[in-house]
Amino acid sequence: MLDTKADPMYKFMDEERSNPAPSSASDVRPAGKPLISMENIWKTYQMGVEQLHALRDVSFKVEKGEYLAIIGPSGSGKSTLMNLIGCLDSPSKGDYWINGNLVSEMTDDELARIRNKEIGFVFQTFNLLARATALHNVELPLIYAGMRAGERHDKAQAALASVELGDRVGHKPNELSGGQRQRVAIARALVNHPSILLADEPTGALDTKTSHEIMELFEKLHEEGNTIILVTHEHDIAERAHRVITIRDGRIESDKKTK
Amino acid sequence: MNNLEALKLAIAAILAHKLRSFLTLLGMIIGVTAFMVVLSVLVGFSAYVDEKIAGVGSNSFTIRRFNFEDFKDTDTIAEAQRRNKELTFDELEFIKERAQYIGDIGAKALPNSREIKRGGETLRDIRIEGVEPVVAIIDKYDIAEGRFFTDTENNNSMRVAYVGSDIAKKLFPQGGALGGEITISGIPYKIVGIQVEKGTIFGQPQDSFVQFPIKTYGANFGGLRGSRGLYFVASAKDDKQFAEAVAEARQLMRVKRRLEFSEKDNFGILTPDAISGFKDSVFGSIGTVILIVPTIALVVGAIVVMNIMLVAVTERTKEIGIRKSMGARQTDILRQFLFEAGVLAGLGGVVGLILAFLIGFIITIYIIPTRIYLSAGILAIVVAGGIGVLAGLYPAWKAARLDPIEALRAE
Repeated sequence: MLDTKADPMYKFMDEERSNPAPSSASDVRPAGKPLISMENIWKTYQMGVEQLHALRDVSFKVEKGEYLAIIGPSGSGKSTLMNLIGCLDSPSKGDYWINGNLVSEMTDDELARIRNKEIGFVFQTFNLLARATALHNVELPLIYAGMRAGERHDKAQAALASVELGDRVGHKPNELSGGQRQRVAIARALVNHPSILLADEPTGALDTKTSHEIMELFEKLHEEGNTIILVTHEHDIAERAHRVITIRDGRIESDKKTK
Repeated sequence: MNNLEALKLAIAAILAHKLRSFLTLLGMIIGVTAFMVVLSVLVGFSAYVDEKIAGVGSNSFTIRRFNFEDFKDTDTIAEAQRRNKELTFDELEFIKERAQYIGDIGAKALPNSREIKRGGETLRDIRIEGVEPVVAIIDKYDIAEGRFFTDTENNNSMRVAYVGSDIAKKLFPQGGALGGEITISGIPYKIVGIQVEKGTIFGQPQDSFVQFPIKTYGANFGGLRGSRGLYFVASAKDDKQFAEAVAEARQLMRVKRRLEFSEKDNFGILTPDAISGFKDSVFGSIGTVILIVPTIALVVGAIVVMNIMLVAVTERTKEIGIRKSMGARQTDILRQFLFEAGVLAGLGGVVGLILAFLIGFIITIYIIPTRIYLSAGILAIVVAGGIGVLAGLYPAWKAARLDPIEALRAE
């Protein structure tokens, strides 16, 4: 007999049918709790017979409206942590709560919903769709949120205007400068009003002057009430945040309020 | 993401790679075109046999010396030739006098082939046949010019002819065919009527014939026997009682020939349904076999679609990663690629269908009538799209299952 439950090909079908929202009451935290709560998070990769611990017992909390930088050298587990925060991956052990949702136990499609609603990604290489216009790129999260075309269009337009690209909506990424592309990416990250703005080396591909502009934009967004998590290996970028977590060898080495 | 969004995405992706999309389409186009052309020929042929040869809907039937079953093998042919006597005018009169359900009934003699002259012009191998005047009514002749024979002309074996439009045109290029004279074996005949042009069917001209009153035919071409043997054409008085008319003809023939109850018919009755049924029995199986070849072309088309979709997934891994990081679920990605494959193949179906129409049109003019039913056309597009979706299933599933972190890292 064909077991549709066991076969991974059919798995998504079941997930589509079931309610992706947390089902039991115990999964929902009461209001007033931190926006992000990581509790004893481990991420372990099996490399043949050896176990590689990318993250070892990491715990921290992020309140709404914080401006946090996560800094660490390459290989420190910083990228793994970012993937976990961004719900692109699940921890091997430990609980991760974001905005009242226990995401560490979620299936792929439930994670997709969280990525759509709670996280706004900004990448080092922008990651815009090359063939799509700036407007369509910004519309992307709204499409997957199921928003209708008219409303989506207006929202994307407004988001682009807020990063001062209201006159570049019809341009494709290759018709924009690096700084403009990153601003499109930021508009895209913000358009669905996520809980956190998660930026991975957002200035890594930009020159100093443009980097400066982008960082000023982040500061402005923070002042407007957005929660920002910045992952970087550059100290001068991390210094602009109000709190810095330093990661080394998969552990939190320090967690300091700087402002 | 809803279906409309997926459709828009699919169209945008197809337009983004015009040459590649076209080449992919070509596979489906060839498959669908081949399938639909073969199908249209089969359907056209079948419909042609029904309408023109079997005369489905014409409400006439024929009584002949032999039946279909008599041609099964050499033994049955030999037996039928021994048992089945030729039809006679006596039998025709016998039926005519007693008919209740039969409307009109008339005799025809089997056609021969002769050389026809007029002045210096000669036409070879022209079909000539003899018919009773009433046949024009039973078979609903379309007369372009003049008239059909009268009973007086038939009874007196007068030398008059009713000809197809080709004969008139070729022998009388300057016109004046009606009332003109043609010569066969040195005997002149006057043309009294010309048939409406019918064109060619299966490469056979339908307008190249000469008909004579049956008695003239018998008197001037060597008697109404053997290769000029008689057969009867009959119609029912009331279309609703066609079956009764056929049964009556059979019964009267049996009575006239004094067949015992246990003996089988020693004559044949061909109804449109019987001919149509015979055609279906022969053609059904042939048609199935013939359609297998273009089906293979369709399968090849599907493989092309699958291959291209696999390439598209590999090439667009980064895009899939971006979409997933923005909240696309596995179903969204799956749907995106399935739609792309389906639209691509469906488009191939549409173009293939249009081509099949054009080719069918040309075949209809030069070779045989073809026909594409609307339902078959719609089905072709749906099936093509369905094949595309099936072919896209594996590539789309592969795309949907991609790990977003790995996908984002791809270049």
